[in-house]
This record gives sequence, C-alpha cells and structure tokens, in this order.
Amino acid sequence: MRGLLLLVLAAWAPPAAAQQLLDWSPDEVRAVGRHGPWPPPPVRDPSNRVSGTPAGIALGEHLFNDPRLSADGLMSCATCHQAGRDWSDGRAKGFGTVDLDRRTPSLWNVGYAHWFGWDGAGDSLWAQTIRPIVDPREMGGNAQRVAGLLRHDKDLACGYQRAFGGKAGDDDELLLVDAAKAMAAFQATLVSPRTRFDAFRDALVAGDRAAVARYPLSEQRGLKLFVGSGNCDTCHFGPRFTNGEFGDVGIAFFVRPGEVDTGRLGGLARLAGSPFNLLGRYNDDVSGANAARTRHVQRLHANFGEFRVPSLRQVGRAAAYMHDGSIATLEDVVRHYSEVNPDRLHSDGTPLVRPLGLSPQERTDLVAFLRSLDADPPPRPAPPPLCP
Amino acid sequence: MRLSAKYLASSFAFLFANAAWANCPLDLGRGTGWVVFSDHYMVAFRPEPMRIEVGQPFSLLFNVCTKSNRPAELVAVDALMPEHKHSMNYRPTILAGADGRYRVDGLIFHMPGRWELSIDVRAGEESERLMHDFILK
Repeated sequence: MRGLLLLVLAAWAPPAAAQQLLDWSPDEVRAVGRHGPWPPPPVRDPSNRVSGTPAGIALGEHLFNDPRLSADGLMSCATCHQAGRDWSDGRAKGFGTVDLDRRTPSLWNVGYAHWFGWDGAGDSLWAQTIRPIVDPREMGGNAQRVAGLLRHDKDLACGYQRAFGGKAGDDDELLLVDAAKAMAAFQATLVSPRTRFDAFRDALVAGDRAAVARYPLSEQRGLKLFVGSGNCDTCHFGPRFTNGEFGDVGIAFFVRPGEVDTGRLGGLARLAGSPFNLLGRYNDDVSGANAARTRHVQRLHANFGEFRVPSLRQVGRAAAYMHDGSIATLEDVVRHYSEVNPDRLHSDGTPLVRPLGLSPQERTDLVAFLRSLDADPPPRPAPPPLCP
Repeated sequence: MRLSAKYLASSFAFLFANAAWANCPLDLGRGTGWVVFSDHYMVAFRPEPMRIEVGQPFSLLFNVCTKSNRPAELVAVDALMPEHKHSMNYRPTILAGADGRYRVDGLIFHMPGRWELSIDVRAGEESERLMHDFILK
C-alpha cells in the first residue's frame, strides 16, 4: 500500500524536466527555428574550381600552414588563425609586420559567408585570402614568392598538380590566385561543432518537450530576449547568427587621433579596385551568376563606420569583441548593447541598435544564451602528406 | 515569403471585372504572382526564385500595362524598410524584354521585417509610383 501511494504521488508530481520549460509561442518557435539546422550542408564556391575537392583542400591546408608565403619566412596564415584559438589569435587586435587596427576574425564557418573581412572588401574567400599574404603590414609576401613555391617545392608542386590537374605554369599572379583558391577550399571545411543551443532548437522545432527542457532556464530566457525584445536576430540572423551584411553598432570610428576606420565604405572602394573580385578574370564561374552581389552592391553614405555582422557561433570563446577588439568580455558586449548611446548612431528611423536597458538578470541570461552557442571542437589531426 | 493565394484571387477578381484591363496578360510563367494597380496602371510581377529568402539575391519579372492601352515603361524599382528608413544595400538593374516585359535583377532583402517595394512606371510623360509591401519572416 505504501509503495502504491508513492507511485500515485510520483504520477501527480510534474516531471522535474517539465519545470525547466518556458512557454514558447508559435512565432518564437519559428524565430528560433531559423537559427538551424546545424551544420548546414557543405557549400561549394562556383568561383573556385577546387572548392570541395580533397586534393584542393589538402594543398590548401599545407599552404595555410606554410610560413614561406611571407616576406620574412616567419609568418603563415596559421600564425594568426590558430586552430587552438578558434582560428583566431587570442589578441584584441591583429598583428603582422606591424600592429593592426582590427581584430583577427575567426575562420569558423567562413565558407558560408558571402562578404569577407570586417569591411567586406573581399567578395570570395579566395580573394580575401590573397589580401593578408600580399599586404606589407601583414605577411608582406608577393605573387612571385608563392608561385616559386608551387613550381619548385617538390611537395607543393605535386600537390598543385593533383589539385589543379596540371603543372604550375609561368603566370605568377594566376598561381597566387590558385594558391588562394586551395587555401579557401581548406578554410571552407572549418565548420563549428553542434552546440547545446542546436539540440534545444531541434527539439523545440520537433515538439520534443523532454529534450527542450534540458536547455537551462537562464539560456531559454536569454534566447527569448535575443529573438524578442532585444531584436538581436534582425542582424544576427539564420543558422550562422549573421545576415552577412554590415552595421554601425556604436563603436568609435577613430583608430587614433585624426584617423578613422571608414569600415564598409572603404571596403567597397577596395572591392571595386581589386583585380581579384568576382567581376574579374579569375572567377571560375563562367555564368557570372555568383557575382550578383558584387555587380549590384551600392556604396552608400551610411556605409561609413559600418562593419560586418559577425557570426555568433563560438562567440564565448573569443578573446575580445567588436571589429577593433575594443570590448574585452561577452558580458561587456551585452552591457554595450544595453547602454549604447543612441545619439551616436545617426538613425532617421527606428534605430536597429538602441539601448536595450537590460536588468542585471537579463544581461546574465543573454550571456548564458550566447555561451550556449559554444562547443569544444574535436581534436584536429595533422594534415596528411601531400604526395606520400 | 510566400505568395498569398487569397490576395491574388481578390486581385484577379477585381481585374477581370474591369474590362479595360482584359488585354493585359498577367501570367508571368508560373501561374502566380502579385498585381498592383492604380487608376492608370496595372503591374503584375513575380519573384524568381519563387521564394524570397532573407539575404539571398532574387529577381522580379514584371508586366506593366495601362488602362488606356498606351505603351508603358518600367522606370525604376527599389525597396526600403520603412521602420528603419534604410534601403537595400544593392542597386537592382532593369532589363527590358522583347515581349514588353521586364526583368529586375540584383534585389536582396538583407533583414527580416517589412520591406516596401516601389515600382516607378511611365507612359509617355505621365509617371507614377506604385507600392507593394513584403513581410519577410
């Protein structure tokens, strides 16, 4: 009898998991659902003929780690984009031959993007890859140096032949582009792992209440703010938590007295002047369909001081935040959006960024949600030999 | 953003009740689309691809007619988010087809929310702006 009573009481008591579930309206479920599923299917870049090819990826990984691409032979792409630091460098601002004004962006999920660099001066991952190699402030390399490696280094020459189906020719610039295309093929494989949020999102969409309830309450409350009154998902949209475009979020323009970082405005000028943009001769997509953004993008006065909306996946693992690394912690980023000065944002309409006026509990919840977008990546094996 | 069958049905019902529009072909190839009209103009259009996604390039195919059967021209197409007073980050281009229809390429709605499409049409010296709202979720 006593056992039966306990059984009845247990049946009446709501399951512990059910107490951990907020009410989610159909609109909220739809909004949360837009942030997945994760990971998306792999994408191939039609402008890059070795995108998604095993031989191109293998060559790209070797080149990515090769310091001989730089002028002094000491700096590779991996010097700043380190696997162990979430493909960034753990510093507030990047460095090369000199200290730089912007933070080194993480390469997680970069293959899904359509604009590259904080100012979007690159319209393909391979074009963006060329920039730091030849920039005298960064690696300081050049086309001749890269081409020489592909022609004369035994392993790289073999890897090139496997990836591109022929020996490296005598056009240095073309070989620089091909090297960048191989490195882009490698970078496009860097897809961040599934997270606690992804398990929650999938369960919510599927109506699996038991699985949904495993997502802690604080994270649920933070997510509600994110897709609700915080309006964060207007820009941090979709599975990568970015719409891939640009915004001014109230960070100072000046990099030092008398000098500003014009952001997207300058990026569009550099894009138009680049021989490597998708309207140029190195685009492997003869249809030109993949160049629609480049063909139609317009340079607006409002682009001044705009920077690319970053993905929020693995965001809690970053060392510093915003394009210039000016905010040290995720807590401070949330405080920035809570207290941002609306006069600084120059919006004629309802500003996209406005002071949210969050309570301390709301700030804690939002940070908890953002940290649920983090996950430990699996250990990364050393790249296999190019031509064993 | 999906096309609203109910909206289309009511639009077509109005148009077929108005004999002056009867010669204006509405079929833009998929048997569906939107129709906007004023006292002088009727504009039928549909997107390509059929589903407009946030951040993805799309085109619009247009047919422009006048009540008086005068030849009409599509002059400009643009879109903005009225709440935020910002336009698209992209400038669309208009291609006139041999059949009097138009293709507008290079449209991208880069945020969810309400987008207001403006369609500038002209017949002779008379021009007019027609509007249509999209809600992108």
